[in-house]
Amino acid sequence: MNSRPLMRLRLDTSATEEIGTTSAGTLSIFPIVGGSFEGDRLRGRVLGGGDWVTIRPDGTFELDARVTLETDDGALIHTTFTGVRDDGNHYFRTLPRFETAAPKYGFLNRMLAVGVGEITPEGPIHAIEEIL
Amino acid sequence: METRLLMTLRVIVARPLEIGAVPHGARRTAPLSGGAFEGPRLRGRVLPGGSADWQLLRPDGVLEMDLRVTLQTDDGALISMRSFGLRHGPPEVIAAISRGETVDPATYYFRTTPRFETAHPAYAFLNRMVTVASGDRRPEGPIYTVHEVL
Repeated sequence: MNSRPLMRLRLDTSATEEIGTTSAGTLSIFPIVGGSFEGDRLRGRVLGGGDWVTIRPDGTFELDARVTLETDDGALIHTTFTGVRDDGNHYFRTLPRFETAAPKYGFLNRMLAVGVGEITPEGPIHAIEEIL
Repeated sequence: METRLLMTLRVIVARPLEIGAVPHGARRTAPLSGGAFEGPRLRGRVLPGGSADWQLLRPDGVLEMDLRVTLQTDDGALISMRSFGLRHGPPEVIAAISRGETVDPATYYFRTTPRFETAHPAYAFLNRMVTVASGDRRPEGPIYTVHEVL
């Protein structure tokens, strides 16, 4: 399948809230307190959000994140992504979705995307591509 | 993005139920009456019970699709598939699809992101993968070409 780079998204997180093990699994909440994104078509900063991460019995992580992005020209973009992180197999892949009311960025409302994630000491970085 | 073909999934859509105008758009449910899937690592059939596509036609003309399907492999494993997708295209192309015509899938955007759950050990690899699919809306139902994102 064809894809086209959309952005590199860097997320800054603060202290993890370890909810612990409930009947739904083991939940850790990663508050997202900042970050930035950059690509040919858009760039800007991350305002905030969080990632609700569930550790599954097979040791993989199921991700459920929401962040608000602000472009350098002031548009706000509501971004959500689900995904899988399997450190044993070096696999960190997400499915971002976008909602914006800004006409210039309306193309985001009409696409599906895939993110390739990387853990760095400064936090996760996602290379996000548009699925063409 | 590197991908690898996982399977081709063909579904047969029974008569949709037009729920109509709801706050977010026009709601439609499309029950599946059957289908089959085939790929290098798995093959089998679609179980009609509990398989349907919950659709919402948004005011901006984009169709959101929330597909849930139960698959059964030829060796008896059950797999629950859930897939969110988007479909949009030029009005005359979408109209042709709605009329039940066979339309070149390159003329519209029909992409989905299937995820899988299974308890069967031989297919546990499905639980850990993210996939993307391209859809081809035939008159009897879509054909999804599903690729594992590597």
